[in-house]
Amino acid sequence: MDVCKTITEKFPCRKKIVKELINLISYDEEMFPNAIHIHGHTGTGKTTIIKHLLKESVRRNNENVFNVAFVNCVESYSSRILFENIAETLCSENAEEVKVENLKDFVERLRQLKTEDTRYIIALDNAERLRDMEANVLPSILRLQELSGLNLCVILITQLPLEKFYCKTSIDEPIIVYFPQYTKSETLKILSADFKNAQNLLISQLQRNKTENLEQKIDVINTVSRDFFNNYLNLFLGVFYKACRDLSELKITARKCFTYYMTPILEGNVDMSDVSRLWRCVAGQLRTALMQVYIRNGQPKSGAELNDKDSVKIAQSLELPYYGKYLLIAAFIASYNSSKEDKRLFVKNHGKRRKRMQAVNAKAKVAEKMSTYIGPKSFSVDRLLAIFYAILEEKVGLTCNLLSQISTLVNLKLLSFVSGENSMDGTSRLQCTVGLEFIVCISQVVGFNVRQYLCDFN
Amino acid sequence: MDSTISVSKGCFVFKGAAEGKKGGAIKRKLKDDNATNLQTQISKQPFYSTYTDTWRSLEIHIDQLQSQSYTKTLEDVVQYVENECIVGNTDTYDMEEIVPAAALLTGVNQPDHLEQFATLTQRILEKMSASVCMLQSRDCSTLKSAVETMVYNFIECAQERPPQSDLEDEDTEKRERKRLRRTQCNMRQLVHWYRRKYIKPYHNKDNEDDGVDDEEEHSPHAKQRTKRSHALVVILPDFECFNTTILQDLILILSAYYAHLPFVLIFGVATSVSAVHNALPYHVTSKVKLCVFKTQTAPVCLNEILERVILSPKYAFHLSGKAFKFLTHIFLYYDFSIHGFIQGYKYCLMEHFFQGNAYALCSNYTASLNQIKNLSHEDVECIRRLLSFRPYVESINDCKRIIAILTDDNYLKKKLPQLLRDCHIHFMLLRIFLEFLTVLTGDLPKCPLGKQRRELYSFCLSKELRDQPEFKECWQMLSFMSKDEFVSKVSKAISVTEDFLHSEIVDLELAEDCMTTVNEKLQALKDLLTKVVMSGMDEKSPTNSTAAPSTPATPEANKQKFTSRQDLKEHLLQMSKQHNKPSSEYAQSVAQTLLYIQNEIIIKYMAPLTRSPPLHELFVYSDVSTVRRHIIGAPRAALHMALNNPHYYLQCKCCQLSESNQLLATLPDLSVAYKLHLECGRMINLFDWLQAFRSVVDDIDNEQEQVDPQIQARFTRAVAELQFLGYIKMSKRKTDHATRLTW
Repeated sequence: MDVCKTITEKFPCRKKIVKELINLISYDEEMFPNAIHIHGHTGTGKTTIIKHLLKESVRRNNENVFNVAFVNCVESYSSRILFENIAETLCSENAEEVKVENLKDFVERLRQLKTEDTRYIIALDNAERLRDMEANVLPSILRLQELSGLNLCVILITQLPLEKFYCKTSIDEPIIVYFPQYTKSETLKILSADFKNAQNLLISQLQRNKTENLEQKIDVINTVSRDFFNNYLNLFLGVFYKACRDLSELKITARKCFTYYMTPILEGNVDMSDVSRLWRCVAGQLRTALMQVYIRNGQPKSGAELNDKDSVKIAQSLELPYYGKYLLIAAFIASYNSSKEDKRLFVKNHGKRRKRMQAVNAKAKVAEKMSTYIGPKSFSVDRLLAIFYAILEEKVGLTCNLLSQISTLVNLKLLSFVSGENSMDGTSRLQCTVGLEFIVCISQVVGFNVRQYLCDFN
Repeated sequence: MDSTISVSKGCFVFKGAAEGKKGGAIKRKLKDDNATNLQTQISKQPFYSTYTDTWRSLEIHIDQLQSQSYTKTLEDVVQYVENECIVGNTDTYDMEEIVPAAALLTGVNQPDHLEQFATLTQRILEKMSASVCMLQSRDCSTLKSAVETMVYNFIECAQERPPQSDLEDEDTEKRERKRLRRTQCNMRQLVHWYRRKYIKPYHNKDNEDDGVDDEEEHSPHAKQRTKRSHALVVILPDFECFNTTILQDLILILSAYYAHLPFVLIFGVATSVSAVHNALPYHVTSKVKLCVFKTQTAPVCLNEILERVILSPKYAFHLSGKAFKFLTHIFLYYDFSIHGFIQGYKYCLMEHFFQGNAYALCSNYTASLNQIKNLSHEDVECIRRLLSFRPYVESINDCKRIIAILTDDNYLKKKLPQLLRDCHIHFMLLRIFLEFLTVLTGDLPKCPLGKQRRELYSFCLSKELRDQPEFKECWQMLSFMSKDEFVSKVSKAISVTEDFLHSEIVDLELAEDCMTTVNEKLQALKDLLTKVVMSGMDEKSPTNSTAAPSTPATPEANKQKFTSRQDLKEHLLQMSKQHNKPSSEYAQSVAQTLLYIQNEIIIKYMAPLTRSPPLHELFVYSDVSTVRRHIIGAPRAALHMALNNPHYYLQCKCCQLSESNQLLATLPDLSVAYKLHLECGRMINLFDWLQAFRSVVDDIDNEQEQVDPQIQARFTRAVAELQFLGYIKMSKRKTDHATRLTW
């Protein structure tokens, strides 16, 4: 039972599941189950626990008796790679020799392995990708034991429940193991196990920055008690637990924020016991960190720059050639006006608009009817150019340089093709992907009033 | 530089053999044996050698400058990559899956940046042990091709530069080279390759990765040291062009393998960091540690190149104001492509020198003196035909000398050094005082003359500066300045000019002549400036005294009862006139200074080309229309011209048109059909079109219903050709109608 013990020591709060798994795969006197389906959210430890469990089992058993292949299905863009990856680790031959063209070859190869009491485990991470492969892959993988005649078990690790794997040809029901999310107290327990790491991190950071009074500060860090850290984690989870339950994410952020938490102490401004003041110092940092959760940032200094999702700022920082800007504006106008209105907006003598009751009613626009809220409509390149020439005061030739600007804008994802991307006959349709604020900002730079040309605002 | 690399961005002019003036590098490659006859002929000409010399020095200068300006960012990136790989990062050390990534904000012209990334690659390879793979979006249409390209590149590029390894290694490499096919490239291969190559010494110790992982549990730091000795850098130069799902999968794969292979990602982001965040969902961004780097924006880069290289007094070649403006215009208004700009500039250079051997004189002074000997009769004639030569001849009073200069080559040759010298000095002085004037007018409110040297340069080369309203506005603003501002501004301008003299001019030929002139002017200016300062000193009491009577004057004026609005207006007008007249000593001295600047500096030295010294055409390229025709492709216009007026290209006698919309039977059928289709609306009835076609082509006026099958066949063919050219499309909705696709 010591496999269980080592694993649970390493991964607290998962005792029950680990036991269950060990019951399934760790006894050599029994046949393996056909397949095991493991599912649960991200950051609940599926992959890591399985990985360690299998490694531990291999270590304890002889390698010839217990053979494990751990394959991540993300890279298996073809079933061939999946099979070769599995075959390579199971057969432990020279890698270049492994050649598995298809499922038949694969099963054949497994059959050749046949030895008396060797046991095989194939663990497939991100198993949901199997569904995208050929139709026979998933069902046969689940019946591999039967097909190969080996004492073999397939473990599927995925975020999706088994129901999502059902397909037309029907699959054999595997044994299901569910990894529930950690509760708050469990999370706290796991995070507090990270205490030493956080401490080391802090020390190494200080050493790297070559701060003054290094010795003294390191002493201070070494005096930090686990209770203090737990206290901090309580504060930390209070902020973060609502936003994020991914354990590894929380772990990283907790370490990062711990340095912020410690800074006032290290600088001698705040006493270590003065929790409320510490909280006041760190609250702001935590809040900014909350904005950046899941986003790894190389340089902590430019954190503020990173989360400027503000489109105005982006527009200001975006450098476009002059005509490129006008083309973008023209595209925006084309996207958010109906082509019926073009004549009224861009032709000088467009005649009078007849006022009809309908028109008057339509004019009383509600927000839902504003086309700027409805989203961009598609337009043809011809219309784009026509509007471009209408809004541009100077005369420009229709040159290659100008036309290639359109493709540049498409490349920059400011415009996108709706249809006919590859047709050359001018029937392709585009749409503008940027928002009103962005365009208003760009048009301010070139000194142009967009609102004047938008139906919504006239 | 492969000029078709950016084929998706526009059209390219391929310099054919007829022009045969390729860059020096290509020339060297071709050598004599396989160069065409024409090329050898041209490359022996003196103008060609001058051209290559000039271009080479320019190119080197530009390259230097660019590498300098990229250095800072590139160094940062390399530093980051190095840190991530070798030191390893402590705050994520038990997280095996987080790939370090650098986002390089490059600016919108993506083709330009490939070069930049090439330099980055070089830098990385110089600095550290790493393999670099440039992964472009066009190679990544599917995940399979993306991975294959990446792996193939890693293994391939390592083979191209075999490290100093023992024989055994080379043997395995040879075997590899034979065996590796594109389809075999997958991540597994890469892992094997990496293990074989870079962690060989450790291979025996821990035969399998299980062993490695075991070790990791006990001493993560030690493990990192051993494993990260050789980094695998993946550069995605055009991040925006990637399909997001493929990119996500690719990153997930890299992160899955990060435990075994130390990847570093570098994204070239054209717009902003948010593009990265938009493209990647949380479960992917959490696998990437992103660090943002900014490069210089393209306009800043261009300004630097312009000011440091193209406007440098070192080079004898100049662009006329219009040509200069034209090139910068393409840059700023169309594409932001520095490479394009440099190529355009090179084109101007080629055109300039290709005008004849006389243009070989367009180099530095001593070189041009040497060239004078080599001038043939035709070359001298060519010089005589220059536009500015005529005023020069006319300015000579002596009849004999005029005849001599027009007929005697040797006499002219004797005169040439002096003329060339004048030109050189003129352009140098122009450049020096450009510096002066830029400082003076660059930061005035609203910048009437432009902020940058380039704007001012093209301005004063093309027009008489003094007569321009912008200039007057500037001068007015300068004269309205407060004394401190004015004095500091002018003295700053003087000091900048002096700095410029010392840094750029001193080492050049003819520098002394320039220096004396400039120093003389600056000295005079300084004197005037001290006068301005002094006037202030003296003025202090006068201003007080003038202020004193004026203060009581205002209440007095207030006391005055104005009977009407008109009275008040008149009064105010009078008052303003009075104010104008009695200018203080300070104002006078300012005016004096400005007048001096205007008369002695601007009019004398910043003359437009029309007033430039004789033979300036040898140094200035001004043929904008040729450049425009060759640089800017206008396919639509060219096609329209060809179809509408075939005579323009065919030069045949039969198709001469008196007006553009004339229809002749002798025109090619395609042209007739095209012209007829221009008269139609969106939908074209084929039968009507045929009738019209027949009436044009078939001059016999037969009213028969039956159309001559030959004519019908010709018509059908013309229509098919128009369809092929993309002007029309057969309509599916309406039978026997074609849709126009152009407007």
